[in-house]
Amino acid sequence: MENQFFINAGIPPHAPPLQFGSSLSSSPMSGWQSLSSAMEIQSQDCFPSTDYGLQYESALSSMVSSSAASNCNISGESLMIRELIGKLGSIGNSGEIPQHSQPMLAASSCYGTPLNSPPKLNLPLPTSMGLNSSVADFSADPGFAERAARFSCFGSRSFNGRTTQFGPNGEIAAYRSNPLAANANLPRVSSSPALKAMVSQVGGSKKNTPLQNRSELANSQEESTVSDQNPEPGLKGSNSRKRKAVHKAKTKETSPSPSPNASKVIEPNEASNEKRCKLSESNGNENGSGKAEEDGKGINTKAPEPPKDYIHVRARRGQATDTHSLAERVRREKISERMKLLQNLVPGCSKVAGKALMLDEIINYVQSLQRQVEFLSMKLASVNTRLDYNVESLMSKEVFQSNNTLQHPMFPMNSAASAFLGHQTQQNPPLQANTAICPKLNTHLPQINQFIETVSGYPAFCEGDLETLVQMGFGQNQIQEMAFHSQNFQGLNQVSDMKVRL
Amino acid sequence: MRPCNSLKLEFLKNWIMGLQRWSFSKKEMGILERKKAIKLSADIAMASARNGTTRWSRALIANAYSKHDKHLVSKGASTEYSRRIRSKKILKRSCRRIRRRSKGLVRERTRILKNLIPGGELMNEGSLIEESLDYIVSLRAQVDVMRSLVSASEVDR
Repeated sequence: MENQFFINAGIPPHAPPLQFGSSLSSSPMSGWQSLSSAMEIQSQDCFPSTDYGLQYESALSSMVSSSAASNCNISGESLMIRELIGKLGSIGNSGEIPQHSQPMLAASSCYGTPLNSPPKLNLPLPTSMGLNSSVADFSADPGFAERAARFSCFGSRSFNGRTTQFGPNGEIAAYRSNPLAANANLPRVSSSPALKAMVSQVGGSKKNTPLQNRSELANSQEESTVSDQNPEPGLKGSNSRKRKAVHKAKTKETSPSPSPNASKVIEPNEASNEKRCKLSESNGNENGSGKAEEDGKGINTKAPEPPKDYIHVRARRGQATDTHSLAERVRREKISERMKLLQNLVPGCSKVAGKALMLDEIINYVQSLQRQVEFLSMKLASVNTRLDYNVESLMSKEVFQSNNTLQHPMFPMNSAASAFLGHQTQQNPPLQANTAICPKLNTHLPQINQFIETVSGYPAFCEGDLETLVQMGFGQNQIQEMAFHSQNFQGLNQVSDMKVRL
Repeated sequence: MRPCNSLKLEFLKNWIMGLQRWSFSKKEMGILERKKAIKLSADIAMASARNGTTRWSRALIANAYSKHDKHLVSKGASTEYSRRIRSKKILKRSCRRIRRRSKGLVRERTRILKNLIPGGELMNEGSLIEESLDYIVSLRAQVDVMRSLVSASEVDR
């Protein structure tokens, strides 16, 4: 699954992280460039962004750390995006994907083109910084902060055309005066629809329902945070600047500042940096949710850093915002999502609320299933001792028993029979078979021969059911053959070979 | 959520193969041995039907490979998994602080669940639930297939 993400994005699975890391540490620009090329991104997009980043950096000095960071200034949006990405990534691969996806997204964000093509970015970042239109915006994880700022000031909603972001250069300066405020307002507002779009898209691209659930949950979560963010723009103004400045040097005190709730998102630096530093070592899964990033890499804690493995979580109103609690909250949410999925699976679980009871039900169910398997295997073992089975009757009976849709006992044989026959003729089964010893085999073959004639006639039957039935019947025979074997019959080979080919 | 037919089919196919191997290797088996063979081959078949996409399947194959008759499990599939699992176990053992006291119901039940699911001790809580989800689906498919097999064989009598 991890590969899936990358393939969709056109990036080799492990390339981005490596590139990212190297780019971050040494030559960000080159790293970005390589990434962009890999992602089929219009490289020119990234360059202007870097310029802007630099400018931004000067204005928001704390925001941009290394050159790589400058490429993608991530404002608070990146937190949300990362969270979503992390969630999505972790679904496929516990924690590994977020790590990889982050750099990829970061790269893509800088470059923009992948953003425009949602299919490429399987891990769309939900919150486009103020850009409704493209899911791609989300993917631009690293550039979120920067873009959000930019876009908010520009008021441009379409991220698709990267050029637009870089167009009004002068506005950026103006925007800078109140970067965070703008960030807070505009990106937040637009982020949720974008997030939704992304989520839906993600859900569509991923056939995995858990993923969709997660993304939806993340989406809703993001929305809630978005709404929280909006009331606090006023705080941002100078505070954000201050925070950003602080970010550069330290990663800690920014978070407690004025907007304890949503600040995380807006200023990725603040808590995320600190979280990243702290949590970078922890497991990808849980910690990814926290800001466990590779901030330790020496990259300034600015949000734009290519998030390897962290999920940005926005602290909700009235909730604690320190690193651990946020990470814990993300963990809990992840677990609750999965619990919901399990509720559908385990019978009688829908009424139960609470983790302990749900776990109890799950345990009971798993235990009962395992016991059933034991019992059935014992039963099958006992059944095997009786060998006198009539194949035809067995097959027909099985057909009737297992699948009522079939009207004719012969039907299931047809499709499978032809397959079997084909295999049978193809291979040269090392027949130690002693057909005399194994009358059933002999009976099998003529039946199959007959059936082959009429294979084509039954399209109405569900292929899977037919095959299952046939397999069942054959399996039954197989077991009989096993019994034969136990009595030193070796005619099984042929039949087993046929079955094997299925 | 009924297990899909493809999963059942895959499981049955693998199971038959496993049973064949058993039958080839051992000509005479007591009933208990047979039962063990059937169950083991069924478990391995179910795990291999997952193609190593889930942790529990890999853990199951690795365990089976190390404990039981090796001829049931193809070498290629198991060695990598077993290696991974072994290293994980070593890591966990060295890093983990053994807690005798189980704190609270949730923790205790999580512990129990970890013991139930193959390879569960090595997972963290989030992935544990995910794996148990998949494991439940697979178990259901397994039970369905076995049940129909039993009924088919019983019908004759």
